[in-house]
Amino acid sequence: MGSIQDRLTKLLGRDRVLHSPDALLAWECDGFTVHRGRPLAVVLPDSTAEVQAVLQLLHAAEVPFVPRGAGTCLSGGPTAAGDAVVVDCSRMRRVLEVSTVDLYAIVEPGVVNLDLTTAVHEHGLHYAPDPSSQSVCTIGGNLAENSGGPHCFKYGMTTDHVLGALVVLPDGSLARLGDTAGPRAPHGLDLAGVFTGSEGTFGIATEITVRLSRDPEAIRTLLASFSTMADACRTVSDIVAAGLVPAALEILDRATIRAVEASVYRAGYPEDAAAVLLVELDGPELVVAEETEEIAAITQRHDALRLEEASDPKERKRLWKGRKGAFGAMGRLNTDLYVLDGVVPRTRLEDALNGIEAIAQRYEVVLTNVFHAGDGNLHPNISFDGRDPEQVKRVVAAGKEILELCVELGGSITGEHGVGTEKIDHVPMMFRESDLEVMARVRGVFDPTGRCNPGKAIPERNACAEPAKWPQMVARVLDETEETFGPDGGRAP
Amino acid sequence: MTVLRPKNAAEVAATLRETNGPVRLIGSGSQQDRLPAAPDAVRIELAGLDAIERFDAGDQTCTVGPGTTLAAIQAAAEAENLGLPCALPQTGTAGNTAGGLFANDPIGALTAGGPTPRSSLLGIDAVLADGAEFRSGARVTKSVAGFDLHKLFVGSRGRLFAVTRLHLRLKPLPRSTRWFRCEPQPIADALARFQTLRGLPAPPAAVHLVRDGNGSPHCRVVGRFEGRESFVNAMHRTHELPPGEPITRLLLTPTPGGEVLAGILRPSRTTDLLALTNDDSAFILHGGGRFELATPNAAASDALLQQLPELGGHATIVAGEPTRRGTGTPIDPGQQRLSEELSRKLDPDGKLV
Ligand SMILES: Cc1cc2nc3c(=O)[nH]c(=O)nc-3n(C[C@H](O)[C@H](O)[C@H](O)COP(=O)(O)OP(=O)(O)OC[C@H]3O[C@@H](n4cnc5c(N)ncnc54)[C@H](O)[C@@H]3O)c2cc1C
Repeated sequence: MGSIQDRLTKLLGRDRVLHSPDALLAWECDGFTVHRGRPLAVVLPDSTAEVQAVLQLLHAAEVPFVPRGAGTCLSGGPTAAGDAVVVDCSRMRRVLEVSTVDLYAIVEPGVVNLDLTTAVHEHGLHYAPDPSSQSVCTIGGNLAENSGGPHCFKYGMTTDHVLGALVVLPDGSLARLGDTAGPRAPHGLDLAGVFTGSEGTFGIATEITVRLSRDPEAIRTLLASFSTMADACRTVSDIVAAGLVPAALEILDRATIRAVEASVYRAGYPEDAAAVLLVELDGPELVVAEETEEIAAITQRHDALRLEEASDPKERKRLWKGRKGAFGAMGRLNTDLYVLDGVVPRTRLEDALNGIEAIAQRYEVVLTNVFHAGDGNLHPNISFDGRDPEQVKRVVAAGKEILELCVELGGSITGEHGVGTEKIDHVPMMFRESDLEVMARVRGVFDPTGRCNPGKAIPERNACAEPAKWPQMVARVLDETEETFGPDGGRAP
Repeated sequence: MTVLRPKNAAEVAATLRETNGPVRLIGSGSQQDRLPAAPDAVRIELAGLDAIERFDAGDQTCTVGPGTTLAAIQAAAEAENLGLPCALPQTGTAGNTAGGLFANDPIGALTAGGPTPRSSLLGIDAVLADGAEFRSGARVTKSVAGFDLHKLFVGSRGRLFAVTRLHLRLKPLPRSTRWFRCEPQPIADALARFQTLRGLPAPPAAVHLVRDGNGSPHCRVVGRFEGRESFVNAMHRTHELPPGEPITRLLLTPTPGGEVLAGILRPSRTTDLLALTNDDSAFILHGGGRFELATPNAAASDALLQQLPELGGHATIVAGEPTRRGTGTPIDPGQQRLSEELSRKLDPDGKLV
């Protein structure tokens, strides 16, 4: 029979099956570096047929597997335990079909998010979901995580842009969920909808059909600075209450502004400000012009210190540079950075931020905030020294309390980064045993033997309580990530 | 016929637990003649769960019982200058319930990439056929915790579970709305116009391609722009759109002996689809790709159901003989297998029909 590695090598060839300890190093974790695991092997299939062949082989051998895209996940989603094989889809990066009339594209899962937009740019089209990691992360990973991004306030999450997927199920069989016409037939169930956001636990998507959007006629970016965070938050509330729907509403706090300005991502943000609010407006030229005036008036009502406006690509790029480079800049504050991802109702942003500050003080941790204010999606970032176990303990406890606060305020433990392994112990903050039991039933429909990305997304029934694992992200990894993305890895200004 | 009317989630759970045999879940009951017949089923009407439990104007979300009427939600929302993005008040369906709207999702998006029941549903509380209660999603506009089981509710027609609470996204009311109604044109011209409007960077809030079924093969394009007044006026001017009354006929009724197919299609294949039909059959295509098509008889429906997959489309019979309703184009075998398994896992006795 031979070992599983030998059999995989026979299937794909030596250069597309990695199993020496050195070769596996790069697959030991994702952007959440604390949960590491060296997989049994990494396979690099090129096609749906190869993914099928690999999964059939693993099914027969009862070996678990973990789908993987670019590995930029921030919650441990694509990290494998030692008994699993990583199925890395990054070589499957063909754009298979584009319809400029029916506005869709069919892509392989390894297509990089920004590459899809680049591929359709000449037709005046783009792919709307834009995680800040978009110049590296893949559409397969976006689908599995139901990723968001700064522009999802107006344009929705990945799930709102997925029309269908061809999926290889854990036994190697195929299922087509939705298609170019839409996610479900009128008499069918929305399986594409439930697959999206399943964190790689339902199967491997090998062809993904996504909706394309027309480029807006005009884009304008505004940067308003405030002497208090409360003013910035109230400005957001008033913008939304006025019935305006900007493409993006992002806030950075004072500590983040200072970190950004001291880094290579320097964007000229005012260092005397307690908060800056980045507003992006897009749409027809005349609408954008009118909305700009309205927003300027709202910022004035809230005593904005300054309002900068950028409509040419270079200036827009500068204003976004600080926001996009924020994680990288904060990596410099200490050796480690823990990027949290909680959501509160937008009306509770101020309460949440006050609560978070109190928690940070109580646990004596250095915490900065960058967030998607329009969605109430907070990213409190804790900088710490991971070599100091006592600090790590405080960071973990503070992180947990912050997520508890989000849930208490009526929100969620994750808005876009997923549960992965990082928040697996926190899922019961939101869901009862009975909820998880039904979710497990649904997962069992796709993966009856529980071999597809085990231990992720929802706690497994009867799993022994795992010891608390602390979240920790090494600054070096973030630096590398930012270097690869480039500081303006958003939609091209 | 037994009709049960629970008043809250606990009663829905108890009712489901204690009922043996087939059960049909009902909202206002208005769409029952578009579903496969279930003459022997016990009817559980959810209209009594009609409270607007939470309304957060600042967060633009609300939580309602499944029996809350769309009219009640719209009234509460309009008082705060908000609206339910996927509601269709102009169809005269205001008495319909929120649960029914999401469970049926008959129209999909009214424009390319526009809001749908699917994109407006943030989370649910629900009860399985055996009475077990569960929830999924959240009440905030963004959450990826847990699997999105609420997506399965949309379009499920009550076949998987009963929903007892819905968390919904609202949107600001547009500052201005103006309808347009183009003159009937040959299909190729009307379709070109439909595609142009649909493909605009800022498309109409609703756009429909309509063939009236009055003997003429011509189609017309109808819809509305929403937004700031200057924009709405500019769009009407630029695209030379004649003003019109709101479209009120989004769901077709069959002619005597005829049927209605509801389907989904890539708009560019519309001419191919219509080439397979009688020139005078009524047809409506919505901006998101959903369509309804009247056929003269069962044989014509069957022929279309056979041919549609070649056009990349899907459809099902929604009006006609009760026993024929629900017959549809074949579903991908892998998807079919998963759907059947899902029904078995959530409703092992096949109670919900
Ligand atoms: C600097 C930085 C900024 C970020 N900004 C954002 C942001 O703005 N918004 C946001 O939402 N996220 C953000 N992220 C998180 C991350 O980029 C996203 O979660 C992204 O979607 C992951 O894509 P990936 O290709 O790297 O997938 P991976 O990390 O490789 O995998 C992610 C998950 O997808 C599964 N998976 C991968 N491919 C497939 C497939 N073909 N079929 C089935 N399952 C699959 C994996 O098993 C895993 O569970 C950021 C990360 C970094 C490092």
